[in-house]
Amino acid sequence: MNKSRLLILLSLLLTASILLAACGGKATATPMPEQPTQPEQPPMPEVDFDVMPGGALEEALKGTYKGTTVTVDGAFEGNDPDGVKMKQSVAKFEELTGIKVNYIGNKEFEATISVRVDAGDAPDIADFPQPGKAAQYVAAGKVVDVKSFMSEEWLSRQYNQSWRDMATLNGVEAGVFHRFNGKSLVWYPKKAWDAAGYEIPETWDELMALNQQIADDGDTPWCIGIESGAATGWPATDWTEEMMLRTTSLENYDKWVAGELPFDSPEVKKAIETWSEIWFNDAYVFGGRSSIVSTFFGDSPAPMFQDPPQCWMHKQGNFITGFFPSGTVAGVDYGFFYLPPVDPAYGKPFLVAGDVMVMFNDRPEVRALMEYFTVPQSASGWLEGGGALAAHKTATPDMYGVELERGIAELVAQATSFRFDGSDLMPGEVGAGSFWEHITSYVAGSEDLDTAMKAIDATWPK
Amino acid sequence: MNSGKRQKFLGGLFVNGTLLLLVILWTIPTLGIFVSSFRNRNDIAVSGWWNIFPHREWKVTREIDPAAAGLNPDGIMEVEGVSGTFDEFRAGLSTPDGERLRWVGNKRLGRIQVEEQVWTVSWNFTLDNYRQVLGGQNFEFTKPDGTVEVVPGDNMSGAFLNSLAVTVPSTVIPILIAAFAAYAFAWMTFPGRRTMFIMVVALLVVPLQIALVPILRDYRALNLNGTFLAIWLAHTGFGLALATYLLYNYISSLPRDILESAFIDGASHFTVFTRLILPLSVPALASFAIFQFLWVWNDYLVALIFLGGNPEFELVTQRMAAIIGARGQDWHLLTAGAFVSMLLPLAVFFGLQRYFVRGLLAGSVKG
Repeated sequence: MNKSRLLILLSLLLTASILLAACGGKATATPMPEQPTQPEQPPMPEVDFDVMPGGALEEALKGTYKGTTVTVDGAFEGNDPDGVKMKQSVAKFEELTGIKVNYIGNKEFEATISVRVDAGDAPDIADFPQPGKAAQYVAAGKVVDVKSFMSEEWLSRQYNQSWRDMATLNGVEAGVFHRFNGKSLVWYPKKAWDAAGYEIPETWDELMALNQQIADDGDTPWCIGIESGAATGWPATDWTEEMMLRTTSLENYDKWVAGELPFDSPEVKKAIETWSEIWFNDAYVFGGRSSIVSTFFGDSPAPMFQDPPQCWMHKQGNFITGFFPSGTVAGVDYGFFYLPPVDPAYGKPFLVAGDVMVMFNDRPEVRALMEYFTVPQSASGWLEGGGALAAHKTATPDMYGVELERGIAELVAQATSFRFDGSDLMPGEVGAGSFWEHITSYVAGSEDLDTAMKAIDATWPK
Repeated sequence: MNSGKRQKFLGGLFVNGTLLLLVILWTIPTLGIFVSSFRNRNDIAVSGWWNIFPHREWKVTREIDPAAAGLNPDGIMEVEGVSGTFDEFRAGLSTPDGERLRWVGNKRLGRIQVEEQVWTVSWNFTLDNYRQVLGGQNFEFTKPDGTVEVVPGDNMSGAFLNSLAVTVPSTVIPILIAAFAAYAFAWMTFPGRRTMFIMVVALLVVPLQIALVPILRDYRALNLNGTFLAIWLAHTGFGLALATYLLYNYISSLPRDILESAFIDGASHFTVFTRLILPLSVPALASFAIFQFLWVWNDYLVALIFLGGNPEFELVTQRMAAIIGARGQDWHLLTAGAFVSMLLPLAVFFGLQRYFVRGLLAGSVKG
């Protein structure tokens, strides 16, 4: 009968899937950390990266923790490009120590990590794209201070103080920086640029003169778009941070990020007014000011690649090359330069965003992996495959396999100071909320600067 | 008589016309995505999918060098009987004989193009999107010594199998349990029946999100976390309230006479259930199966929490989320991905759809 056939079919499917599950189920069992039982320790093998003397990694390289597993969570999926790069980066660690690194990230990381930590199921290490987001776990005492097992000497050898400051939350050094993206970059269509005879500006005056030169030639110099769904406005916060670094002191920037310097202060307003000079000049922006809010940030550089270019400059972090039309080549079709400083008194600051490795569970094999993350070789997947730079002081240009990243690394090396993307460090209500919302209203012209700044200040959590 | 026929015809025309319009309105976005899935990334970025239909486009026939023609872009220019400013020429000015003059490039290096309109279609189709979705991307790593290592990305077959392994039991288990429960609530008398049934109905309005943390804690204590059993149980629990309620409505509306005669013949509850109730409720079971299958197949959150985002247990929904890249730069792949992930649910729907219409009425007509 037909109906019984349906039931048979369903039960067949059921058994088939149970079989499938049984085949795949083994990988979930997390082996308990084994105690070293071997009396004779083999010597540590020769490795091509630095190892902290007396640390867990040194012990792990002798094979002491062989067979254990370390779980790493993060904001990218294990099978997407970043996941492949992560696998590639830790392959050497797995091979040398016998410790398995189980990467389990997903795109809803921020939501799932809080569920996991609340349920007592925290990963051993979490790769936070925004260090500020780890602050709640630091406050709850769930995070292991890296100073508890890494020496001051080692950390200061591997990192610039700026990076360590950025990883320090509530007085706890909550993690170690792994890799980063440079934001203070301006992209331009190299071929047409050279043909038009434009010069790369070194100072703010030169940049403004170039704007006028391009406008006089009948073109619009900039492509700007800040639409990004629920996150609309974030490129404007990047510009604000760039100008904060260029028009006021680092102390003021830090105070601003910490909430001590209000948005409604002359320093912040001056920073915003500096970029407004470009943004609100219809002759300087492709499509005019009114198109900025409605243009998707990823599509905004596209007119630069038309022949002839509809705009000539686009400021964005190095990830933007992923949005460039397929087939365009760095150094041929497009180039980049450092967004010039405004006031020479503040040097050449560089705005960055990056990933910090935060440790939740204190086991020796987890310590070993954390120590591995403090050497630039641990980011080799990104250095060789492109997409990010190593945050370590000890990284050298020859570690980069991709010309583009090497060029950016050289620009970064010339910078006089670094600051992390401020909106990523602010409390979520502001940095991922009112700042976006009101800066968008300001760009759209529905709020004036004073109103917008006061509105942001009002949302800062007390 | 005649006018009555006419009225009927007009009425039919109106109903069918409205239906046709709605069908077209609902299908156009899907059609657009389907066409886009065969276009390459640059085409999608530059032009709309409707360019596959014949349309008129401007085509360059010749160029005029403004410097040789002695034109000054800062003033009013006159070319081929048309005059205008630089900005007007940039936007394009039409000539009396149907051509268009357009200034391309900046004032110093630009040129004037003479364009005419021609009929054209853009049929530049490719299977690249499907190839990337199904076969995975290749990643290149350039070692410091200059050698290039190519690492193939993961393909979709694993995700497909995982999704099946999650979905089928998560559909069958709640149906089996709910059918027993519905029968008991409908035809058996036991103390607390009403209260228990009200509790089941009340559970319908509880959002599953509030259960995530407590269940994850329990799973952790039971060491179930990250296994298929965990997610089957979770989906069973979340689906059971609706399944019981739906099947109860259907089963309780079956004619009492059939059951009574079975009991008189000495049938036990179990015999009645397996020999009478189950065969009679196939439409309701099938329609709930469709609901549950689609919901589990499309689920992202529950799987993420209980399967733990482990790459080995990656589901189709997670694969789709990952396919667009960390910042959404590869969103064009979603077009192909959507159709690939749609295949199985569509097959299930069409396979069970003859029960579906009957099943939708489940319990709504008593008698």
